[in-house]
Formats: sequence, structure tokens, C-alpha cells
Amino acid sequence: MKADEGSLAQLMRLSQQGDKRAYTVLLGECAGWLERYYRRRVPPHQIDDLVQDVLLALHRKRSSWDPARAFLPWLAAIARYRWVDHLRKVYRSETAQLENHDGAVDSEEDAIMARLSLDRLFVQLSDPQAEVIEMVKIEGLSIREASERSGQSESLVKVNIHRGLKKLAALVEKAE
Amino acid sequence: MNQPHAALIAELAETLEPVRAMKARDGIMLVALAAAVTVLAVWLAVGIREGITTGSASPFFFITNGLLLVLAMAATAVAVALAGPSIGRRTDAATWAIAMVGILPLTALASALPFGESVSLLIDPHSFYCLVSAVAASLLSFAVLAAWLRRGAPVSTPAAGLFAGVAAGAIGSFAYGLSCQIDTLAHLGVWHVLPVLVAGLAGLLLLPRIIRW
Repeated sequence: MKADEGSLAQLMRLSQQGDKRAYTVLLGECAGWLERYYRRRVPPHQIDDLVQDVLLALHRKRSSWDPARAFLPWLAAIARYRWVDHLRKVYRSETAQLENHDGAVDSEEDAIMARLSLDRLFVQLSDPQAEVIEMVKIEGLSIREASERSGQSESLVKVNIHRGLKKLAALVEKAE
Repeated sequence: MNQPHAALIAELAETLEPVRAMKARDGIMLVALAAAVTVLAVWLAVGIREGITTGSASPFFFITNGLLLVLAMAATAVAVALAGPSIGRRTDAATWAIAMVGILPLTALASALPFGESVSLLIDPHSFYCLVSAVAASLLSFAVLAAWLRRGAPVSTPAAGLFAGVAAGAIGSFAYGLSCQIDTLAHLGVWHVLPVLVAGLAGLLLLPRIIRW
């Protein structure tokens, strides 16, 4: 059975007072909630790491919950913050790969995941940005191949990918 | 118990200590205390100008400092609230308060420039002194807000930094403004508002690095 807002808030109130039993129950409920939250947002093999990351953040920042406020929006905001942080790291490492580009996405699984993450937000990008991100990050073309097919110079392809990914990260951060 | 995370949960529960919940009221009280100490320090250091209680100061004096005080309260409430993770927009009140105070420098410019005067008309011998003094007067509130945000868990660090800076700048400018003898529109509208911009930019650029978690 999933705990409701009132029960979670009560458990958190007790946890802030040092009740270890309530805290154990609370963290178990939060872990389940976070798994469901991340299931539609990140590849399956990254869920456990993100859930544990948020549990640690919750532990470290548990004093930042004001008992006068709702608990789930507080948890959701932390979950989103850590998710955006996770995306930034992914994008940063992907951008770094572009700098010494050898080409393509490493595996078919990565390509599917990239599509899952980016598709919903692609409409927000300019056509040249979406086009080259699609080619390089999803189809797996090299920068040179994307440049030839899109008619953009190689440096413009890199710039468009970099700016497009940055914009995606910002969009995710703004999303409520 | 959630099985994949059972070990971590057990470890976290084992190390659990009671904590004092961060309540917005506490943060606002801390900033109010910092503002009161700043006003007192200004009073002791340079004195409070005459004419406040008798009403002989110019209307611009009351309007400018009143608006800065309102901005300080709105931005403080927002910055303090941003220390706690939450979903949704919480910055509207302070954004409108900034726009409201922004009318002052626009009015100063509009009243000077259409008559063919140069922008130098807006600069007087005390301009930079007032700017630097007001920025200095904002430091205590800035530090208090930075500490509050660092203790909390802001999920929008640029917004938290910006509004903390604006709040500190408005407090500093208000506090120092109580001592300033010059009450022309040009002086108050530009040189007593500029510290808010300076502190806001400092908050936006410096604080996210300090409060990121």
C-alpha cells in the first residue's frame, strides 16, 4: 500500500525528532515513490543510483522540510533537482565526447535512451539544433557525416549540439 | 522495506539525529535582526538624518526608502522560502517589487534627459560614497542569507542567489539611506537603487557556487 501525504508528513515530523523506526518506514516509502518517479525519466539501470542519491540528499537536508508545508512537493523538488544534476553530468560527458569526436553513440541501448529523454523536448529546439542532435546522438552519425548530410559546417554541428543540449537541460530544469 | 535500498536505509536510520526544522519565520527573523543591527551600525557610525520624524525631508526621501523597505521585505521572504525545496513559482511578489523600484531610476533619467541635460547631471560629489556605503551596509544581511541558503536545500540556486542579493542590497540601501542628507530625485533614484543592482548581481554570480548541494 502506498503511503499518503498525511502519513508521510507525520513520518517526516517524527524523523526530524530522531525517531529511527519512523525514519526507516519513511525512507522505504520514499524509495518506492522515487523509483516510480524516475521510471519514466531515466534508463532503468540508472534508477537505483538516482534513488540512493536522493535518499542521501534527503538525509543530509532533512532539516529543510518545514512541517507547515506538504511533504511530497518537497520530495519531488529534491528528486527533480538531483535528476537535473544527473542530466547535466550526462550532457557534460557527452559534450566532452563531442570535443574529441570519434563518432557515434556507444550502443543501441544508449540511442534508444537518448531518444526517450530528448523526444518530448525536441519541439522546443530550433530545426538545425534538433536535426543534428537527432543525427549524432540518436542515429549515431559522426560529426563529419552529420555535417555532410545537414549542410552545416562541422563546427556549426558541434555548436548546435552543444547549445541544443544546454537548452534541453534548461527546459528540464524549468519544467514543473 | 524497499529491498534494493535496504542496506542504505538501515545505515541512514542508524545515524539519524534529531534536527531543528527550518521554518520560514526563523529565516525572516534572522534577516530582520541583521537589518536592525545594520540600521543601528549606520546610526552609530554616521548618524540618522534630521527631518525624518518632523516630515521635513523631501517626499522623494520617504518614497525611495519606503519602496526599498518593501522590496527588502518581499525579496527576503522569497529568498528565505527558496531555501526549502518546493515545486512551483514562488518569486512573483519580489519580481514585481523589483519592477516597482525600477521606476525610480527611470524617473530620474526621464526627468533629466528630455531637457537636453547630460547624464553627468545624475552624478554628484556624494554619488559613489553613497553607492559604496550602501553596498557595505548590505554585507551582513548578505552573509546571513547566504548562511541560511547554505543550510537549506535550494533547488533553484540562481534565483535564490539573485533574490538574496536583492534583499541584502535593498536592506543595505535602506539602512544607509536613513543617514543620507541628499534627497533629490536624481541622487536617490540612481545612487540608492544601484546598490540593489550590485548586490543582486553579486548574489546571482557568487551565491550559486556557495549554496549548491
